[in-house]
Amino acid sequence: MGSVGLALPWEHKLSSVARDGERRVEPFEGKAEPVRISEETPQDAAVAAACLNGSLQGYERLYRWQGTRMKNLARNLLGSQADAEDAVQETFLKIQRSISGFRGQSSFVTWTFRILVNTCHDLRRSRVRRKEQVNEDIDALPPRRELRAPGAHPSLRMALERALKRLTTHQRDVFLLYEVEGFRHAEIAGMLAISETASKNTLFQAKKNLRTMLEPPRSSGAGAAQ
Amino acid sequence: MIINCDDRERIFLDGSSEEWAAFEQHAAACTLCAEELRAWKQVSAAASELRDYQESPALWARIESSLRQQQAAPAPRKSFWSSLDFWRHISPAWQSALVGAMVVALAISSGYLYTHRAVSSVDRGNTLLRTSALAEVERTERDYMSAIDKLAADASPQLNADTPLMANYREKLLVLDSAIADLRVQAGENPSNAHLRYQLLAMYQEKQQTLQDVLEIKR
Repeated sequence: MGSVGLALPWEHKLSSVARDGERRVEPFEGKAEPVRISEETPQDAAVAAACLNGSLQGYERLYRWQGTRMKNLARNLLGSQADAEDAVQETFLKIQRSISGFRGQSSFVTWTFRILVNTCHDLRRSRVRRKEQVNEDIDALPPRRELRAPGAHPSLRMALERALKRLTTHQRDVFLLYEVEGFRHAEIAGMLAISETASKNTLFQAKKNLRTMLEPPRSSGAGAAQ
Repeated sequence: MIINCDDRERIFLDGSSEEWAAFEQHAAACTLCAEELRAWKQVSAAASELRDYQESPALWARIESSLRQQQAAPAPRKSFWSSLDFWRHISPAWQSALVGAMVVALAISSGYLYTHRAVSSVDRGNTLLRTSALAEVERTERDYMSAIDKLAADASPQLNADTPLMANYREKLLVLDSAIADLRVQAGENPSNAHLRYQLLAMYQEKQQTLQDVLEIKR
């Protein structure tokens, strides 16, 4: 069937990512740990203040700091680089429109990503509606070729992307925010308006489902060759 | 710390660092748990395949240009919420009193909506919350969620007990949390739909009742 399972020799294929000092309970070998940014960084407050003052430099600082991460999340939620860039642009416009409503109840980054996630969901819905109107079959379209990070393993990535599509919206959001983008449960709770416990439970279910989807069927001898 | 195979899922869900360490030790001598642990960690490791932090050289220029355009456009009318700046100048005691009054108003309006819905099933498809009622519902919902979280924290020691009954309660709470999360997504997509809010309220009440049952057993 050509399925890519978890039996792949990961150690040779996974890129390493730097990490900060936040304690993470689950044990990792240190290779795939995402960067975890504390909510209370001075940078967060400084960027928020600059944006509140209406300074475009504030937005540029936000972009330089979080732009690639925002784009990465949007691409994983929407499935294409072009849609991801549209979503990031729309998010910045929404931030500018509603910055006066930012009260600092969460970190500025949390607030920004909450807007981004909602924007991605809106874009996704409008895209589906558009496709329904012109009666297009999404699956019939040839997959777009996207630039990939050096060292990425395309078949594993495709298998993951396929598996992610089969999760519920909520499970996909939480998995991407936690495992890929490195947010903490407290931050995800703020972004998705759920409790921290619900975020943990959703991640648990997401990982259980992904594990089932990605694990190759337990082989019974040479039957797999068929 | 003694850890066995029955603790595996609980630790995967929300284990402490000490529990993870003890579980790793247990897995060293247990083939099944070692396999489960390997697969669990590899799902997280696989997530790095979805990290692609490449710059898009033209994107900032595009964003900056649209931000400038939006900034130059005539300012929209002052919103209702921004006219509520007086709130910050009110003392906390008065703020509490006003919040209390709003909660009462919300209860009355929700009651009205509920009875209206019960009487007229023809209009069921059109039961939409108005913007002001919606804001109140969302505020109260947040408070309710926070109260239930406190209840969950109280029940947590009892829930973590290694008994079949508590395992059932844990499973039920997992299902409820998942249903609540899905309903919240639907409510987010269709915020004015009162039916979704009623369903959410029913789920919250079920969760509250379940946690109260757990606490009752404690006594």
